[in-house]
Amino acid sequence: MSAAIEVHGLVKRFGGLTALDGIELEARPAEVLGIIGVNGAGKTTLMNCVCGIYRADEGRVLIGGRDTTGLTPHEIAHRGVGRTFQIPRVFRKMSLIDNLLVPVLDRREAGPALIERAEAMLEQMRLIELRHNFAEELSGGQQKLLEMARMLMPDPAVVMLDEPFAGVHPTLCRFMIERIEAMAADGKTVLLISHDLTSIYRLSRRVAALNEGRVIAMGGVDEIRGNPAVVEAYLGN
Amino acid sequence: MPPEPGGAVPRSAERATADRIYFTLAAVIGGLVSIYFLVVPVLDLNIAFHFYLMLWITMASAFNVAAGFSGYMPFGFVAFYGVGSFTTAILVKSLGFPVLVALPFSGAAGVVLGLLFAPTLRLSGIYFAIVSLALAGICRLVISNMPQEITGGSFGLQLGSRAEPVHSFYVMMGVMLMALGVILWLSRSRLGKALRAVRDDAEAADMMGVNVTRVRLYGWLIAAFFPAVCGGVEAWYTNVVDTETAFNTLTTAKTVIYAVAGGLGTVTGPIVGSVVMVWLDELIWRRFPLLNLLILGVATVLLVLFLPRGIVGTLLRWRPEWRRYIP
Amino acid sequence: MDTLVLNGIVNGLIVGGIYALIGMSLTLLYGVLRVVNFAHGEFVIGGSFLAYALFSNLGIAPLFALPVAAVSFFALGWGAYFLLLPRLQKSDDPEIMSFLMMYGVSLALAAVMLLIFEADSRSIDYSFQPIAMKIGPIYVSTARIVAFGITIVLAAALTWFLFRTLPGKALRAAIMNREAIQIIGVDVVKLSAFAFALASAIAGVTGVLVALVFPAFNPFSGAEYSIIGFIVVVLGGLGNPLGALLAGILYGLSEQLATVFLPQAMAPIVGFGILVAVILIRPAGLLGWRAQR
Repeated sequence: MSAAIEVHGLVKRFGGLTALDGIELEARPAEVLGIIGVNGAGKTTLMNCVCGIYRADEGRVLIGGRDTTGLTPHEIAHRGVGRTFQIPRVFRKMSLIDNLLVPVLDRREAGPALIERAEAMLEQMRLIELRHNFAEELSGGQQKLLEMARMLMPDPAVVMLDEPFAGVHPTLCRFMIERIEAMAADGKTVLLISHDLTSIYRLSRRVAALNEGRVIAMGGVDEIRGNPAVVEAYLGN
Repeated sequence: MPPEPGGAVPRSAERATADRIYFTLAAVIGGLVSIYFLVVPVLDLNIAFHFYLMLWITMASAFNVAAGFSGYMPFGFVAFYGVGSFTTAILVKSLGFPVLVALPFSGAAGVVLGLLFAPTLRLSGIYFAIVSLALAGICRLVISNMPQEITGGSFGLQLGSRAEPVHSFYVMMGVMLMALGVILWLSRSRLGKALRAVRDDAEAADMMGVNVTRVRLYGWLIAAFFPAVCGGVEAWYTNVVDTETAFNTLTTAKTVIYAVAGGLGTVTGPIVGSVVMVWLDELIWRRFPLLNLLILGVATVLLVLFLPRGIVGTLLRWRPEWRRYIP
Repeated sequence: MDTLVLNGIVNGLIVGGIYALIGMSLTLLYGVLRVVNFAHGEFVIGGSFLAYALFSNLGIAPLFALPVAAVSFFALGWGAYFLLLPRLQKSDDPEIMSFLMMYGVSLALAAVMLLIFEADSRSIDYSFQPIAMKIGPIYVSTARIVAFGITIVLAAALTWFLFRTLPGKALRAAIMNREAIQIIGVDVVKLSAFAFALASAIAGVTGVLVALVFPAFNPFSGAEYSIIGFIVVVLGGLGNPLGALLAGILYGLSEQLATVFLPQAMAPIVGFGILVAVILIRPAGLLGWRAQR
């Protein structure tokens, strides 16, 4: 499945704080859109709005041309949106296989077929030996991989990764980069939040720089690298 | 079938073996339980003891659905039991229903009550527990304040001219086996997985496509059905209901303690917990009748301190590989 | 104004004061330790029975039972903390586990009191001189007035302690952020034990006041006071002592006024109903914060 994602004029306020102040961006199938910005710029809030945890105060989100604004998280998930979290939110007291089965519980496929797919996914993520362990027994990096596998199970059109490299061993990072490249090659639309600028620049075709709830620059990697506004936002104030 | 990389046994075959062991164990336990209880009246063993043992197994198992699978601790669990008791009593006494027809209505009454309480499902742990307690209190007060002709006031209701211990005994057995069957199914089913995901992280489950509200409701209604039917059967067994015993907070207490003693989250846990605790209770009752309550209280404290995962739960913690084989 | 309503208000304040004390101590316990003390009612009734035992066996007036209760319950609380709580903090779900454990404690305590005092209702046959005093158009028993006076002093003292002394501030800081105060160097274990001991002491003393204010009590009365404690704590916001104070008085007022207009047997429904309504509509209580799952 593949679809573009468009965000128009997204505004989100928390009491007196305006976390998102009119976000405009879009990403297309088979592309990785990197999202950068200092802490508090609104990156995670943007993701939370897109997947439905937060209700935006203004603006719209379109997935594959269809408006998903205001839908519940599980409805949005069924529209083909998957995500991972900055701090892994795996289902701690369920086995790895069961973790992977949760997003596809409502599929018509028979149980054994789904389990085989889950096992294949775990094998790809090099977690197959631990498939019967509870998720809480995994290390932080392994949990991030588990989240990635879980996210991919329903074959989402749009995937959003929130700081996948944070606190992860460099070898694992390289492995994750490969996986992310594979997702894009597969035709998925990938939104990638990260502070790891090297990885962002390597993976992304385009990058959106956020600051104080707005997209201050969006364009190709070289464009963003040299953009004075971006540099100032990162280093200034 | 092509050989799996690095493994001597193909994963699908290994899975099949694990499933076979699981279901064999389940069948063996179910069979043993059935045969044992089947012969109790025949061999003239203590019917009362065994009736209540089956009752507690059923109650603890139903509670397990709410607590172990879904993550809720309804401290007002007795509300379903009480409502079920009174439904059967009223239908039998005032409307002349045969008991076997009244019992499903009791179950339905439990489900209706569960629906009424459904808005509380969005509350977190302690708040939910406390509200559940308060709601049970309201149920009790509402029923005790209903007109005497309907609910018998402080004297209670008598169902019929005499009790029928053996018939109600076998019906209780049927209810227990049904409950165990449902829970066995639940633990392997997709609904069961969804419930556990919601228990572990409701928001994440939501984002993974699980309809959290609906899933929670289904689990809750299953948990509400069985204690209500238990109440009905017990009303039949003792031939009398009154608000004090039907809505006794000790019923919830014992249910919770027996379920926790065995271990929440497994099918066998509540069975083991009930058997051990009911047997212990009977032992204490024979020797030191006055110390019952004290022993129950102390046992709870010791359980929480030293065996918080229960007997089966601790066993599975010690040998996690066995999780796939033990129901 | 209707005498009944006036009576309701006066009694509501007196009873509300007691509920406020129960709530304040319970909320302190929850706030600092994240322990939901299901046995709090039994602590309170334990204090009542202590006063009863002292009076009927040694002829000690209830007023003198107050310091005895305070000291003995403080010591018991301190010991109980070390016996019960350290293991709990390490478990997967300390709140629910503590709920369960304290439930066991409540059963055990009720059982002990049952064994010692049997199930009959007890009351303390102590009369002040004069037995009752006239306030406006109504008569109020002196015992209740004295109890109310003591309640005010205690509540004020507790509030002063929490907001003006260093240990009190440490307790409030612990309520706000357990991890942070450890970093500052506060001995969390001692502080926690202190919180438990203090809450127990207040509960015990409140029990003596209960004996003065309410006509009778028995080993099973504890459960009712636990529930009332929960209502007050939730109404006032978990971990918020001032909230509990306010909520206790409000709840006492509504309970007593309800008995003016409703049959006695229905009165608890008002309390339960308030609890359910508040939790569902504004779970943070009057002055608290988050509760959704």
